[in-house]
Parts: sequence; structure tokens; C-alpha cells
Amino acid sequence: MANTADPALNPVSSPPAAPEPASKQSNTKMDQPQSQSQPQPQGQKAPKPAKPAKQQQPPKDKNASAAPADAAGSDKLSPAELKKKAKAEKAARRARERAEREQPGGGAGGAAGGQGTGTPAGKKGSDAGAAAAASAKGQKGIPRRGSAQNVPQSAAAELKKKQEDKNVAVFGHLYGQQRRTTVAGAGKEVHPAVLALGLQMRDYVVCGSSARCVATLLAFKRVIEAYTTPMGTSLSRHLTTHLSHQITYLSTCRPLSISQGNAIRALKLAISSIDPSVPESEAKTTLCEFIDTFISEKITVADQVIAGSAAQKIKDGDVVVTFAGSSIVKQTLLTAFKQGKKFRVSIIDSRPLFEGKNLARTLANAGLEVQYSLMNGVSHAIKDATKVFLGAHAMTSNGRLYSRVGTALVAMSAKERGGVEIPVIVCCETVKFTDRVALDSIVVNEIADADELVVTQPPHQLTDLPDPVAAAQPEPKKGGKAAASNPSPTESNTASNKDGSPLTDWRDTPNLQLLNIMYDVTPAEYVDMVVTEMGSLPPSAVPIVHRMSTNL
Amino acid sequence: MATADPRTSKASEPFDIVATYNDLLRSDPDLTMPIAAIEALVLLLTHSPSSTISETLDLLEKSTAHLKKSIPNPIGLSAGTDLFQRYLITTLQRPGQLGPAGDFNAIRAHLLSNSRLFIRRAKESRDKIAAFGRGFVRDGSTVLTNGGSRVVASLLQQAADEKGGPSAVRFNVIYVLSSPKGDIESPTAEPEGMETVRALRAQGVPVATIPESAVAYSLGKADVVIVGAEGVVENGGIVSRMGTYQIGLLAKAMGKPFYVVAESHKFVRVYPLGQYDLPIEQHVIDFKTQEDVDTAKQQQSKPAAASSTAQGLNSEFHPDAVDFTPPHLISALITDSGVLTPSAVSEELIKIWF
Repeated sequence: MANTADPALNPVSSPPAAPEPASKQSNTKMDQPQSQSQPQPQGQKAPKPAKPAKQQQPPKDKNASAAPADAAGSDKLSPAELKKKAKAEKAARRARERAEREQPGGGAGGAAGGQGTGTPAGKKGSDAGAAAAASAKGQKGIPRRGSAQNVPQSAAAELKKKQEDKNVAVFGHLYGQQRRTTVAGAGKEVHPAVLALGLQMRDYVVCGSSARCVATLLAFKRVIEAYTTPMGTSLSRHLTTHLSHQITYLSTCRPLSISQGNAIRALKLAISSIDPSVPESEAKTTLCEFIDTFISEKITVADQVIAGSAAQKIKDGDVVVTFAGSSIVKQTLLTAFKQGKKFRVSIIDSRPLFEGKNLARTLANAGLEVQYSLMNGVSHAIKDATKVFLGAHAMTSNGRLYSRVGTALVAMSAKERGGVEIPVIVCCETVKFTDRVALDSIVVNEIADADELVVTQPPHQLTDLPDPVAAAQPEPKKGGKAAASNPSPTESNTASNKDGSPLTDWRDTPNLQLLNIMYDVTPAEYVDMVVTEMGSLPPSAVPIVHRMSTNL
Repeated sequence: MATADPRTSKASEPFDIVATYNDLLRSDPDLTMPIAAIEALVLLLTHSPSSTISETLDLLEKSTAHLKKSIPNPIGLSAGTDLFQRYLITTLQRPGQLGPAGDFNAIRAHLLSNSRLFIRRAKESRDKIAAFGRGFVRDGSTVLTNGGSRVVASLLQQAADEKGGPSAVRFNVIYVLSSPKGDIESPTAEPEGMETVRALRAQGVPVATIPESAVAYSLGKADVVIVGAEGVVENGGIVSRMGTYQIGLLAKAMGKPFYVVAESHKFVRVYPLGQYDLPIEQHVIDFKTQEDVDTAKQQQSKPAAASSTAQGLNSEFHPDAVDFTPPHLISALITDSGVLTPSAVSEELIKIWF
């Protein structure tokens, strides 16, 4: 409790924080009872912290020696100082009460904090949390900072807050529920095909707007095939609710794409328009046929048409830049290649999904000339580009392109560099059109697990140098081990693997938030042409075509 | 049609659609390319004894392709042929007496009579446009225009005409005349648009003529730019006489409104991404060394030495060359279906096509 006395006496903001680690180590367990019996005479309290302070490391000696001096000073207090202290006490009590009010589970928070301090990382966290609290509440006043009994508790509260704050604030509305990790807890109505599909979508095995749409429809076809209408209801009424269970399950695995939503809407419409008098088997056949037609009309054949008309835009000598791995762009490029056009493809890819790798391999295997670079090299890749082809997740009603995050950057680079000379062409089926409007990529978006950003395979180290990270770490365990068992490369490797990514323990690192956003919005001005199965359009014509294709 | 009939009956054995089209264009100076194409197709249908729908459509498709191939710049023309084909298909697909189930001869007669009505309406649309466009020519303003567009001419003339509206608008015209082109037949031919200039001057409108090189210089004195178009493409841009694009760029740079006057039958289903993405071959930029020039001269001197200079000019610059003005340079399109923004063009086109 050196801190209690310290700040009151010398209300400088930084020194009180410095001796904390040492003092708290011994004090945390006593924190709670002490803070409860707070209005103790200062004189008794003051000497206590002197002991832990003395145990401090030599570098901190200055502070440590300062603390006892303060404590000694507090033994013989002048009336003015006493008054000041009393004032501080009062302010502290008030502040604590306020903190308790803010955190209804204040006690629990404190407990959690106490547990947290058991581990070194946790302790570090709470320290920084306290420091952050100090700096954040700096305006509110020195009195509050002076109430040092409060510090551990408020630090704990802060810690808890920090743990919750791992969500990036601007995108807070997008976090929602965590993605489902197992099939456990899924409703019994959910068909096995849908169960499997959900996990596949979650793990990006089935990835891409069109692929997800087709896979969903095929799974629903199996659902419909396996479906029998319960007694006392009609198919057109009950099947919709039955499908809703499947849909809910799928959306807990990964938020549904626009194309999936449109397909589901069409399917539900088809179900509800079935005459109740139609026998069940016949109705099921009709629906399965509907699904097959939908897939072929809206996606399979549409893709062929789009690939055909987009390939016409590729001329000999073109350098086509594309971003990530769009299936329709792949088809377009292959179609153009089969037509004997001589052009080069430059694929820009990005972490963490690396969707462009598959595209690069497929195109290279087909015989195209492919250049693969990551997003970092976009300005180089765009330098010799003549056209940009982009896939789409959705096209919004204000003509904006909603696609894999990074697309906007590629489109913008092309426009900023070449203006009209580098046309940006979007290939998109009309099933991906939506009547929603996107003004920015914040309101509507999808957040993926931030851990995807952390996991990286560190490049295989050929030279057997000691890992700089491990060596630099003063921690006795790893550092000692690495130093001792340096000759064994596997061990040092595992050590470096553990620490390979400095972000591995990002959840426990204060002030660190990771954002793994999935999509972004490209302004309509950056898109020159949208190739759909109903022809080529300017982005401004998207709402008209959407209206027509849904009203037909 | 009466005038066309004898000419076509002459060549009736194998109906030559290309010759008919060219004849039509030459015979009527007021005829635009798409309308001439539609008229030629109607004549083709009256002359060919098709008895089924698919036969008719097949014939139509073949002759359209033939026509497009034999005309150097088929953009304007294809607007007409596409429109006609679309019109036929929708008429044939319509249920009822004139649908696929009906009597084919009745369908044919109906189609032909309707097609003529269509042509007449298309010709009337110029007056309609002039009525819409009048408001864009204000009292005391100066209009900059170019080329030999008949729609622009009729718009300006109607604006100046005291009988046409409540009161005549007093305005000045800056007419951009293209530098004399090497026309082989008459090298001293007056530039395109001279006729309009004379007509306007006769009506009392002060007209200044400037060469294309003086556009940037003169644009400061103009309040509005009005140009015609050969075709309006899907993204709302226009395909027009060479030189329109640079006027558009200059007008944008100077903040002057740039209006395009075009009939809605000039809307084409083409989507050019830039100047070099037009579906036609133009050899505007032709790199040569002195050696190339000499060999070209030698080759030319053999057949006709006199026209060698004219030929040299001609190969440098084709008189029918067009360029593409992208939509972001266009303030509005004045058409017979109203004044449209460039982005509304695709909406109109989609309405026609679906």
C-alpha cells in the first residue's frame, strides 16, 4: 500500500506506477480485505509497503528509496498534510464506490484480477491496465489516482474490460455470436448434409459466394428429398419452417452470403407457391427440379455467359490484374486463353486466406503466363496492367462492389494510376445483386476469427542461429533452455514456433486488438463495367437489373 | 417506300442489302444510319418469300451480319438492326393472334406495316428532341457545336425559329468545322456542317466558324456545348465524329455543360471501355518512316499520280473516323424519350431488351 500514501504526497503521475509491480506481487492477496477496511489510520498502513519496496531490483532503487522516505514522512504529518490526506481518502472512497457501481460484478472482477496476477502475463496485463487507467482517467483527477487501494481493483475491472474490448470498437456491431465450432448443440432437425456443409463453410473449405450458394442449394435438395410432411400440416407450410432450422444452423457457422440469401428467398417462394393439394412426392420432385434449374440458370450457365462476354474484352497483349481467387474470373481467363488470346495474368493475393494461390496454380497449369504477388506489391503489379478483373461477393443497389477485403485497394490503385486507361471490370452473376445499399464497409461486413491472422508458418530456418526472439527474452525458462540445449535444432525451433508470432497471446496483451475483416466496399466510380449474364452494365444499372431479375 | 421499290425490284433476284442501304442513305439526306438499316431490312422482308418465323429470323440474322461486315463503321447501323430484330422477336413471341400460333401471313403483314410506322416515328423523333432541347439554349447564350449532326441542326434552327415557339431565342453559335478532309471525289469539298451554318445565318443567328484547333481558345466564350452522336453506348457514353472526345474533355476541364442530342434509336448495345475498344477497325494512328512513305507513294503513283496527295491525306485520316466520349464527360443526353443522364441510358436499353 505504498501507493496509497505516495500519490497523495507527491501527486506526480508517473512515479506511483513504477514501484507497483514489486509491491503488488506481495500485496495482491491482501488487497481485498484491505480495501474493505479502508478507513484505517494512515500511520499504520504506511510502513507496510516499505518491505516489498526494499526487495526491488537495483535499477528501481531510486523509487524504492523514495517510497520509504514518503512513508517515513507520513509518520509525522503536518496538519495541512493530514487534511490533504483526509481529502484524498474521501475522494478515493467515492471513486471506489463509483467504480463498483460501474462494474456490478466488482467483486468478481477483483477475483478474476487476483487470479490473473498469478501468471506473469496476467500480472503484466493488470499493470498496464492500471497504467492505462491512470492515463485514461487522468483528467478526472489526481484524487482518484491517489486512491491507491483502489488501483488493484480498478485495474482488475479494467482488465476485464480489456478482455471484452478485444473487439475493435468501430466494428463492434459485427461481432455478434462466435462462430460455431462443433456440431454439438445443433438442432435435431438439422440434416447431416447441412451439418457437414456448415462446418465446411466455417473452415473455408467451401468458400466463395457462388460456391456457397450452390453447396447450400444442393444440401437443401437433400433435405427436401429426406423430408416427410408431418401429420396435420401441409408441405408448403411446414417445409419452410423445417428449412429455417437448417438456415439458422448454417448462419451460426458463417454469416450467409448475399447469393445464399437470394437463393433461399427464391426457394422459399417456390415452396410457398406449391398448391397444398399436390401430392408430397410430386411437390418434392418439383422443388428439386426448381433447385437444379436455379443452379444452372443463375450460376452454371450464367457463369458461362459471363465468361464468354468478359473474355471478349481481353485483347492480345493485355496484362490482366486480378485479386484473390474468384471462380468466375478464373473461368473468364481460361475462356480467353482457349480462344487463343495472348495475355498475361497478374494475381494479387492477401493474407489470411490466400485464395489466389489456387487460381495461380490452375491458370499456370492451363498454360497461362501468371505472376503472383501479395497485396504489398500491388503498386508494382498495377504498373504494367491494362485491365483489372474482379470477382464479387455482392453488388449493392448504389452500384458499389462488395467483395473480398482488398478489392477496393486494387480497384483504386488501377484508377489512380491509369484512369480510364485501366478499366476495372467486375464479373458478377445477377443472383449476387442486392437491394441493400452500402455506403461504407463498416455497417455491413463480416468479421472472421482474429486468430486467423496470428497463425503463420515461420519460414523454415536453414541457418542454425539461435532464435533472436528467444535469446532476447530474459525469461528464465525459455532463454535458459535455448541457451543450454542450443545444439538441438528441433527444440530451438519449437521454441521459436511458440514465440514465432509475437501475436500468439494477443488476447492477453493489453491495448492490442486484432481485426480480421472479410469484405470491403469499392465505390462505383472505380468500377467501369459489370459483366452479368444479362449483359454488360455500368454499375449504376445494377438496381434496374436487380429489379428486373427478381420480378420476372 | 414508293421511291425505294423500283430500285430494289431491279435487284430483286438476289436482294442486295448493302446496296439498298447505301442507296437509301444517299437518296435521303435526312435519314440516319439506324433508320436506313431498318428500312433496308423491311425491304428485304417484303422481297423475300419467307414462310416461317425461324426462316424470317434466320434471313434477318444473315443479312444483318452481311451488312455489318460490308460497312466500315457498323456501330450506328447495328443500333437499327438490333432494334428491329428485337422488335420482331418480341412481336412474334407475344401470345395471341399475332403470336407463334397465328397465321404467319397475317403476322408478316402486321410486321411490315408496323415497321413502316416505326420508321415514320423515328423520323418524327427529331422534332420531339428539338422541343425538349429548346430549353437548353438560353437567351443571350453562346452554343458551341461541331460536325454535321442533323438533330443538332434541327434543334438550333427550331430554337431560332420565331414560329416554332413562344418567342425566338437570341443566341450565338460557335461552329467547329473540321479541317478539310482529303475526300477523293472532291478534294475541295466544304467541311461537314457548312450547310447548317448557312441555314442558321439565313435565320439571323450569328455564327462563328472555327477550326478544331481553336476549340480550347474559343470555349471560354461559349456557355454550352451541344453535339450530335452516331451511337449512344450502354454506359451512357457516345460514339461520335472524331474530335468530339476532345471537345468533351475541354468542356469538362472548363466546367461547361456538355449536352448530347441523339434519337433513342441510336442506342447501341456496345460497351466500349476506351477509345481502342470500339468494335471497329480504325487506322487513325499510323506510324511511318520516310521509307514507308516512299514505298506508299511509289505504289500510288502507278495507278493515279494526280490523286497521290489526296490519297496520302486520306490514309492518314479516315473521314468517317469516330471516337468515344466516356459518360463522365457528358452532362445530359437530350433524346426523344426525354432528357437523360448518362446512367439512365443503360436503363432505357435494358427496357428495350428485356
